Amino acid sequence: MRLELDAVSKRYGSATALDSVSLSVDDGEFFTLVGPSGCGKTTTLRCIAGFEAPTEGTVRFDGESMAGVAPESRGVGVVFQNYALFPHLSVGENVAYGLRFTDPPGGGSRDERVAELLDLVDLAGFEDRDPDSLSGGQQQRVALARALAPGPDLLLLDEPMSALDARLRDRLRRQVKRIQSELGVTTVYVTHDQSEALAVSDRVAVLNRGRVEQVGRPRELYHRPRTRFVAEFLGENNVLDAVVESRPETGGIRVGVGDAVFTLAEGRRVLGRGDPVSGERAESDGRDGDRPARPAPGDELTFCVRPEQLRVGAETNQIRGTVVDTEFQGATTRVRLDWGGTELVVAVEDGGEKSDAAFEVGTTLEVGFAPASAHIVE
Amino acid sequence: MSVRRVARALEQRLLTLVAALTAVVLLVLFYYPVATVFADAVLADGRLTIEPITAILTSEFYLVDIIWFTAKQAFYSTLASLALGLPAAWLFSRFEFRGRETLRSLTILPFVMPSIMVAIGFVATFGRNGTLNRALSAVGLPPVELLFTLEAIIVAHAFYNAPLVARVVTAAWESVDARTIETARSLGASPRRAFRDVVLPQLLPSIGVGATLTFIFTFASFPIVLALGGFQLATIEVFIYSRVRDLAYAEAASLAVIETVISITLTAVYLRYEASQRSAGGAANPLPRRSVLPTDWTPKSTLRTAGIAGYALVVGLVFVVPIASMILASVTGGDGGFTLANYAFLAERQATGASFQVKPLPAILNSLAFAAGTLVVAVPMGVTMAVLTTRRYRGRGLIDVLSMAPFAVSGIVVGLGLLRGLVFGVDVLGTRIRVTGALAIVAAHAVGAYPFVTRNVAPLFARLDGRLVESARSLGATRTRALVDIELPLVWTGVVAGAAFAVAISIGEFDSTIILAEGAGSYTMPIAVERFLGRRLGPATAMGCLLLLVTSASFLVVDRFGGRWGEL
Repeated sequence: MRLELDAVSKRYGSATALDSVSLSVDDGEFFTLVGPSGCGKTTTLRCIAGFEAPTEGTVRFDGESMAGVAPESRGVGVVFQNYALFPHLSVGENVAYGLRFTDPPGGGSRDERVAELLDLVDLAGFEDRDPDSLSGGQQQRVALARALAPGPDLLLLDEPMSALDARLRDRLRRQVKRIQSELGVTTVYVTHDQSEALAVSDRVAVLNRGRVEQVGRPRELYHRPRTRFVAEFLGENNVLDAVVESRPETGGIRVGVGDAVFTLAEGRRVLGRGDPVSGERAESDGRDGDRPARPAPGDELTFCVRPEQLRVGAETNQIRGTVVDTEFQGATTRVRLDWGGTELVVAVEDGGEKSDAAFEVGTTLEVGFAPASAHIVE
Repeated sequence: MSVRRVARALEQRLLTLVAALTAVVLLVLFYYPVATVFADAVLADGRLTIEPITAILTSEFYLVDIIWFTAKQAFYSTLASLALGLPAAWLFSRFEFRGRETLRSLTILPFVMPSIMVAIGFVATFGRNGTLNRALSAVGLPPVELLFTLEAIIVAHAFYNAPLVARVVTAAWESVDARTIETARSLGASPRRAFRDVVLPQLLPSIGVGATLTFIFTFASFPIVLALGGFQLATIEVFIYSRVRDLAYAEAASLAVIETVISITLTAVYLRYEASQRSAGGAANPLPRRSVLPTDWTPKSTLRTAGIAGYALVVGLVFVVPIASMILASVTGGDGGFTLANYAFLAERQATGASFQVKPLPAILNSLAFAAGTLVVAVPMGVTMAVLTTRRYRGRGLIDVLSMAPFAVSGIVVGLGLLRGLVFGVDVLGTRIRVTGALAIVAAHAVGAYPFVTRNVAPLFARLDGRLVESARSLGATRTRALVDIELPLVWTGVVAGAAFAVAISIGEFDSTIILAEGAGSYTMPIAVERFLGRRLGPATAMGCLLLLVTSASFLVVDRFGGRWGEL
C-alpha cells in the first residue's frame, strides 16, 4: 500500500504539533520517522492511524483520502511502546482479537492464524499464557503478532523498542525487520533513536518542531545532511560556522573559521539529483530552488566534518587542538579536542594497548580533513 | 446502509447522550430539590428576604446552643479520632503481627456501617441495662449513665472516624522511603531527629487530610447525635430535623442553608488541600516492620509493649464491645436467658399494638426494594460520571465539582428538598407533578450512593491506558465494541465494589429517609431501629444485627473486588 501525507498540519489550540508535513511511503517500504521528543513523529503516526484528525491536509491510502474514516475501518496494525496488550485476555485471545472483525487472511481457521503468527514471532505454543507472565520482549512480540494477525495493509510501530534493554532491542529490531520484509507490509516506524532509524530503515524522515527537516535513505542523510539540525541529530558531528574568503581558480571554496582558513570542496551543496524524495521536497516548498548555488566571498556558511573524517596527522586543513577528554569505545577512541574554545570530536581507530599514552589529556594533537569530506549545510 | 449510518452517528454521540441524561437526573434529584430549600430560606410570600437567616445568625440560642455546639463536638470528635487512629497507623505501618492485613482492611468497615446501628451498639453497651452496667452490678458497683452525654457522642464519632484517620496516615507512612531516613542518619541525624525532620513532614499532610475529613463528617453527623444526644444535645442537623417535624419549614430551610454553606466551604478547603498534598503512592523501599513482641525486654521495649497492650484494650472497648453487646442483647430475653424472640418479632407479619406503628417485616422489605432501586439509578450514573471525570474536555473542572457536590450536602438537606420540591409537588406547565415518598427515598439514596460508584470506578478508568482502546480500534473494533470488549471488563471490579457500596449506603441511609418516610409504607430498617430504640431495645438490636449482616456482606464484596477507595 502506498501512503501519502499531503501538507498535514495538526494544531491543539494555539500549539502547532505538525506544520504542513508532506511524506510519501512506497508499497512495502520500511519508513522511519525520527526526531527528538515533541517533534511531532507520534502525532504523525496517530493521524495516519486515525486516532487524531489533521487540522489541515490529507492522509491518503493508495490515493484515497482517509478523512472521516474511523480507525477500525482503515486496516492499519499498530504496535505501541508499552505494548498495550489486553490484560484480561490470554496471549492467544490477544492475537485473535482482530480476527473477531475480519476473516483470517489466507482462508485458514482463526486458531491456525493465531498459531501461525505466534510461530512467526517465535512464541509458538504461548496461546494460553497470561500477558503479565511474559517478559517485555515477549510482550512486544505478542503485540506485533496481534497487529499483524488481521493482515493489515499498513503497520505502524510507535517506539516499540524503547522500553527494552539495549541488547534485546538489537535482536528484536532485526526480527521486526526480517518479518517486515518477509510479509512485505508497508511499515511506518517511529523512534527517537537515530542509530535505530539508520539501522533498519529503507528511508528516514527527520522531524523537528513539527516540520520535516529532510527525507532520504539512511546513508544519504548521514553523509549529506541538508540542515544543521540533521547534521547534529544523526550521529556525532563537528559543525563549524565560517565566512567565505575566496573561490580559487583551482576549485573549491576557501573559508575562515576564526583565524584558521580551510579549503572545502564544492558541489555537495546541491542536493537531490536523481533522488526522487528530495526532488519532491524541493518542488513542495521551493526553498532549494531559491538558494544561491555558489556562495560568494563574504557570505556566511556552515559546514560539518564527521569525527571519523578528522584524521590524526593529516596535512590538509590542519587543526592543532589540546586533548581534553578521551573515551575508549572498542574499535575507535573518541578524543575531544579544545581548539581555541571550540570543542571538536575525533574518532581514532584503536591501535591496541600501546595507544593508552597517545591521547593523554593536555597533549597537543594535530588533525586534518580532506576538502571533500566536509559538507556544507543550510 | 442508512441504518448503519444512523447507528454510527448515535454511537458517536452516545457519551453525550448518556451524560445529558445523567445531568437531567442529577438536576431533578439533587439540584432542583436543594434549590427549593434555598428558596424556602430566602423567599417569604414570593418576596426576597434574608430575615429568616439573619434571625438565626443573631439568635444567641442558635449561635451558641446549636452552631457553636455543632462545631465544638466536631472538634472534640476530631481530636478523639486522631488519638485513637494515629497509634493504629503507627502499628499498621511499622509492625508485623498476625492479622495485620485483615485488621487494615477492616478499617473500611465502619464506613459502610449504618450510623444508627453504631448508635444501637453504644446504647447496648452504655445504656441503663447495657453491658457496662451489667458488668458493674456484677461486681457490686453502682450503675453509671453515659448516654445523652457529649462523651458518648464523641466516642461514637471516634468509632467512625478513627479508622479513616488510620487508613489515610498508614498509606502516607508506608510511602515514606526508608532511604530518605538512612540518608538523614548518614548525614548525622539521630533516630528521633530523623523522624522529626524526614518522616513527620511526610505524615503531617495525611494527618491534616484525616482531621479535616473527620471534622466535615462529624460536623454534619445526624443519627448518632440524635440517638445518643437526643434533642438536649442538638447539632444543626438534629435541629433541622426537629424543625421539619414541627412543620417549621422556613426555619429548617434557613438552618439548612447555613449548614450547607459551612459544609461546602469546609469541603472546598479540603479538596484544595487534598489536591496539593496527594502523595505519589507506595515507596520503592518502605520502612522495615518489626515484631510487636520485642526480642529482648529492655525498659524501653517493655514500656512500648505495655503501651500497645493498653491501646489494644481501648480499641477492644470502643470497637468490639459495642458490636458484641448489640449481638448479645439481640439474643437475650428480659430474664437474661437466651432467646430468639426478638428475631421472631421481626418476622411477624401482623403488626401488634406493641410494634408502635412500625412493622418490622415491611421495613426490611422496603430496605431491600430501595436498595435495588438505588442500584438501578446509582450504578449507571456513577459509571457515567467516572467516564466523564477521566476524560479531558473544556469545562471539566466544573463538571467535577457539580458531580461531587452531593458529597458536601447533607442527607437531611437533600431529604428536605425532595420533600418540599417533589413530594409536595411541583407545577410544570399547569400540571401538578408529585412523587411518592418511596420514589423520593430511592432518589435520595441514589444521590448519596453514586459518588461512591464514581470513586470506585474512576481510578480504574483513569489507569486504563488509552492505547488499549486505540489498539482495539486499529484491529477493527468500533468505539462501543472497544468499550464492551476492553474497558468494561477491566473496570468491572470497580463497578462491583461501587455497587456494594451503593447497597450499603442505601440500606444504612437515615438522614433523608427519616424526613421522607411517610408511615409504614416507606419505613426502612434504620428508621424502624430509631423508632424501637429507647422503647424496646430487643427488636432494635435484632434489627441492628440484620443491618450488620447486610453491611458486612457489602464490605466483603468491596474488599474482594475493590481495594481502591481513593483516600477514603
